[in-house]
Amino acid sequence: MRLLSRLPILFSKEWRELMASRAFWLMLLAVGPLVGHGFVNAVDLYAEASGIGGGPAALAQGLTPLDGILAPTFGSYDLALTLLFPFVAIRLIASEKESGALKLMLQFPSSPGELVAAKVVSLIMGWLIVWLPGLIAVAMWRAYGGHLYAPETLNLLLGHCLRMLLGGGVALAAAAIAESAASAAIVTLGFTIGTWALDFIAAGRGGWLAVLAANTPTAALRYFEQGLLRLNTVIVMLILALAGFALAAIWLQTGHRLRSRLFRTLALLIFTTVVAWFGSLTRASWDMSENRRNSFSKTDEAALRQIREPMRITINLAAEDPRLTDYERGILNKLRRILPRLEIFYVAQSRTGLFEGQEAIYGEIWYELGGRKVMNRSTTEPIIIEQLYQLAGITAPANSDEPVFSGYPLAAHPRGARLIFYALWPMIVIFIWRLARHFRR
Amino acid sequence: MSEVIFTVEGVSKHYPPRWALQDVSFSVQRGEVFGLIGPNGAGKTTLFECLAGLSPIEGGVIRLHQQPVTPARRKEALFYMPDGFTPWAAQTVKWALSFFEKLYRSSKDGAVELASDLKLNGLLDSRIGSLSKGERKRLLLALGMLTPQPLLMLDEPFDGLDYRQTREVMDLLRRHAARGRTLMLSIHQLVDAARVCDRLLLLSDGRVVGEGTVGELRAKANLGGATLPEVSLEEIFLALT
Repeated sequence: MRLLSRLPILFSKEWRELMASRAFWLMLLAVGPLVGHGFVNAVDLYAEASGIGGGPAALAQGLTPLDGILAPTFGSYDLALTLLFPFVAIRLIASEKESGALKLMLQFPSSPGELVAAKVVSLIMGWLIVWLPGLIAVAMWRAYGGHLYAPETLNLLLGHCLRMLLGGGVALAAAAIAESAASAAIVTLGFTIGTWALDFIAAGRGGWLAVLAANTPTAALRYFEQGLLRLNTVIVMLILALAGFALAAIWLQTGHRLRSRLFRTLALLIFTTVVAWFGSLTRASWDMSENRRNSFSKTDEAALRQIREPMRITINLAAEDPRLTDYERGILNKLRRILPRLEIFYVAQSRTGLFEGQEAIYGEIWYELGGRKVMNRSTTEPIIIEQLYQLAGITAPANSDEPVFSGYPLAAHPRGARLIFYALWPMIVIFIWRLARHFRR
Repeated sequence: MSEVIFTVEGVSKHYPPRWALQDVSFSVQRGEVFGLIGPNGAGKTTLFECLAGLSPIEGGVIRLHQQPVTPARRKEALFYMPDGFTPWAAQTVKWALSFFEKLYRSSKDGAVELASDLKLNGLLDSRIGSLSKGERKRLLLALGMLTPQPLLMLDEPFDGLDYRQTREVMDLLRRHAARGRTLMLSIHQLVDAARVCDRLLLLSDGRVVGEGTVGELRAKANLGGATLPEVSLEEIFLALT
């Protein structure tokens, strides 16, 4: 039987198993109120900022649906992907290992890779159903008269999709390697906590640690939440997810000796590391946000692109210093996108900077280009850009005549959202769950 | 019935600190019902799992038509149905039969006939997890018989069945073998083994202590010229193990 004939049969089986899984239905049940809570709070806060109390909008320019509505609403999915989804994914393999069904499946006329592929496809389809509350929230936002910008919305959905694949890869690999579902859950949660620790440790540091930290699931998702589509993030997330699936396929082959499986695991890890490393070096990125928050103005970008020599920036700001956060978001993220040979060094010794105050050099940011060196303590965009023009000997362009993003204030109440997400959604899920049980008979 | 289709040479399996199988060798002929007997812990299930490629072996060669066959390719030659497990507990009997029928492109009539022969018709809408031990065994037998590989290995095919069902399943298996399929059965009830199997392999402590027909085993056990039922397989078993 050919692959294309086999896969639908295997997928149909995996789909039935997913639909029979309590973990899936419980996740579906929980995700409605979770998303609803995020959405209701987001709409309320957005309305307050838009002057629902009768006053003027506080900062109209800062009111973007991406920050105000989409990111917090879909942020609930990050929580679901961390705490609920791994159990659903783990069950797809662990239950068959524990029941002995895996012994039959390994004798099917399909490779272990095909078995894993069918599970992955069913997980993706299942996740699309889990997305329903989020999509309902988006539709409700539109119904309230809210604005949506398709590129940034789709970019955010892509980020969550990649995050799901990565989570699925880790969970399936853990389920295939571990003896039981409990062990697999511990491994998966351990991985997540490990990435959080890495995020924390690598904050405000450069080098390979920063490259690693930029690709943890949470950090990678942050780029999408900021409306940035980075090719290196997409490549690394996809490679890591595929590596997880491949690892699951290797460890499902119980007929192979442990040594052989370890050898193939090592080969896979080396291959993945090399591809992910090279992938992380790609610089292509697209600012999908409507307010171009990840870009300088077009005229400044064109002028700065003239800098071809390597630029070195040495920052003496601690990881938890808010000036560093501003500087990262407002300057470095934009510079990284347009300067092909940018090197950044973080030299502060402490995390908070509180105890580096005695050092006169704390707070200094040094820019080096073609042997010239200049220091500036500012983290404000116009001042830094002016400094860079001087350093590079470039004439500053005339002021940009690009239209200024005016924001989308909307003073709307989340009408009907509580009823839909807190009452109707759970009732519908329970009803369909029972119906599905009935129809399986 | 003399063509050897399956040969096992010197297969060993180590579960530290002990050897579960040591230098196990035997051959199986086309269309025969080959029985694997031995006391608990003799290595019957381990041998099946090694032959099916589900568990790695430390040494030995497994041949199909005299050609060595790798673990990955063994599923083309044989299918192993384990004992005492409940696959896909939330699904129905009807779904399981239909799934195997589609996956192996078996004939729909074959599935219907098997469901009827194994008295599964009344259970089609039942969940697999709700079946009794005997009902589950009948389903697993049906699933095994829906597979097309030339060699079918069944672990304890009569476990959980009552006396009448055992006789009916024996007849069914004999009919299945008569269509050209080779069966290898692991059986702990020696009376059943003697009744259904053409030849037997006696395993003890992971080693082969006898292979052949009941008569050949009797001769090996040196129990004189008495014939069954005077000298039963049980006595041969006790003499050889």
